[in-house]
Amino acid sequence: MERITIDPITRLEGHGKIEIFLDKEGNVANTYFQVPQLRGFERFCVGRQVEEVPLLTNRICGVCPEAHHMAGAKAADAVYHVDPPRTAKMLRELLYSAFYVTDHTTHFYALAGPDFVMGPDAPVAERNILGVIHKVGLEIGGKVLQCRKYGHTVIEMIGGRKVHPCTSIPGGLTKGITEEQRKEIEEMGKWAIEFAQFSLKLFNDIVLGNKAYVDLILGDIYTHQTYYMGLVDENNKVNFYDGKVRVVAPDGTEFVKYSPKDYAEHIAEHVEPWTYLKFPYLKKVGWKGFVDGKDSGVYCATPLSRLNAADSMATPRAQEEYDKFYKTLGGKPVHQRLATHWARLIELLYAAERWVELVTDPEITSPNFHTIPTEKPTEGVGIVEAPRGTLTHHYWTDERGVVTKVNLIVGTTNNYAPISMSINKAARSLIKKGTVVTEGLLNMVEMAFRAYDPCLSCATHSLPGQMPLEVTIHDADGNPIRVLKQFVE
Amino acid sequence: MKTLVIGLGNPILGDDGVGWRVAEEIARVTAGRLQVEIDCVSLGGLSLMERLTGYERVILIDAIFTGKNPLGSVTTFALDSLADLTAGHSASAHDTSLRTALNVGRSMNLPLPADDQVLVVAIEAQNVYEFSEELSSAVSAAIPLAVEAALELIRSNQEGE
Repeated sequence: MERITIDPITRLEGHGKIEIFLDKEGNVANTYFQVPQLRGFERFCVGRQVEEVPLLTNRICGVCPEAHHMAGAKAADAVYHVDPPRTAKMLRELLYSAFYVTDHTTHFYALAGPDFVMGPDAPVAERNILGVIHKVGLEIGGKVLQCRKYGHTVIEMIGGRKVHPCTSIPGGLTKGITEEQRKEIEEMGKWAIEFAQFSLKLFNDIVLGNKAYVDLILGDIYTHQTYYMGLVDENNKVNFYDGKVRVVAPDGTEFVKYSPKDYAEHIAEHVEPWTYLKFPYLKKVGWKGFVDGKDSGVYCATPLSRLNAADSMATPRAQEEYDKFYKTLGGKPVHQRLATHWARLIELLYAAERWVELVTDPEITSPNFHTIPTEKPTEGVGIVEAPRGTLTHHYWTDERGVVTKVNLIVGTTNNYAPISMSINKAARSLIKKGTVVTEGLLNMVEMAFRAYDPCLSCATHSLPGQMPLEVTIHDADGNPIRVLKQFVE
Repeated sequence: MKTLVIGLGNPILGDDGVGWRVAEEIARVTAGRLQVEIDCVSLGGLSLMERLTGYERVILIDAIFTGKNPLGSVTTFALDSLADLTAGHSASAHDTSLRTALNVGRSMNLPLPADDQVLVVAIEAQNVYEFSEELSSAVSAAIPLAVEAALELIRSNQEGE
């Protein structure tokens, strides 16, 4: 049996290892997406004051600390049974919207962009953000950096720091914003809306205007029919910060809609011996293996899932794009995983519009940004949509508010089964008897899961840093016969 | 030259916090007498590059794992002498290596230090994957050596002015 290894995956946070096993004919026998990192965070928080935890969970990930901070903040509110005032919720959501704009922008241009703009067969050294800038122009690189700057400025104004926010406490925030800051945030928000529209146009011209890419997006290789999960407001519109969790079936009908505190009734985790990460699935459907369909409890939580799980977008320009999206792809729900990149840009636009909507609300500068908790702390759940999927933080404390137990289900964790299935399907379709394994081909297998924008740092709550890429091909006896590297020693 | 000293790392990931501890110690022993800015960040790639804009010389202090030196060894080198292990490729989603990020920034005409003016003080460490606020003893013992190495770099530049 031959073995092809992609280890670890490039352009991905955290450490992952793809092992592809070939049979004697050179076809794919099986694939494993192993996550060798152990979760450690849930242990580390035990014994801490619960109000410290949103500051600690910031450090699970250097890319989306805001998501963990918000989920943690909401869980801490719930532990103290306190409802923050409207201004506090709006400020948190405003920070969160600016974060989404920055995060989705960086993802599209630094991660997904290279695949589409350069092409999956472009040489390694060009398949990165420098290559993208080289091809589409310096101006775009400048805009990406500008977008990041604006987003981080808003995060700093409301969250106290550019990257790891620290102003959320049980009951609200430690500070509000001044009218001067409000004006500045509004200006940046308007720029962000234009930039989001520009990005959608870029996608339209470069990707949708290229038949080869459209075929790739619509192709069966990257298509799976699963359940889809996302947070929605009371009108079933996408919301990143608050609401209920809604799950729709592969045919698009609503399967369940639950409050954060009830998540454990609906989600269970399946264990496999060859990986540390567990596979969440819908309890009421049951675990049937790594298979598609409405009888399989596998579900997906990504920008695509969020658009599928909702009925519409809450802002007008994003809604126009939402309609165009489904019209182009043949109706709801959309099952083509590469369409996630498009869905992400629609969310980018919504986040920018929501940014302006919130910052122009008269109550945003109100000094009423904190409600002092009065109840005894016990237990609480906070759920937000992280860019990579539904994020659940569940804390238990004693009567002093000292943490006794933590459970985290992180964005990418939700997608572990779908990612495994996507890699498997892509490998089977692209690696066949006699096919020479080129890097571009391996990159296409990686494209399968990169669409999920996975963050393994978050999923394993462990931060192993970055490592070079190595692929080892083993012959039928397990001897390494070929080694491909992405780095120079 | 406008100089920035940065302690890099995650302060709750065991030995990965050594960069912060060294930077804090530098601030303490120099008590504002040096003409340099000292900061502690948990950043990499693009975000780190953005933090370096406006400086002509940067000293980064960080844990490193090469597996080739005893734990607690302190080495100093310029960024351009470090092999770019990711060959220009992003090694992480949403991000790039610092070298690539600096190249991106320079192509945007951001005022950034040259690669030979980005100096690294690296402390060999191993235990950087477990959550802890403590340093292991070999790494902790390296703090004064790393402080001295960083001060050398700062002084050598200031004498040359």
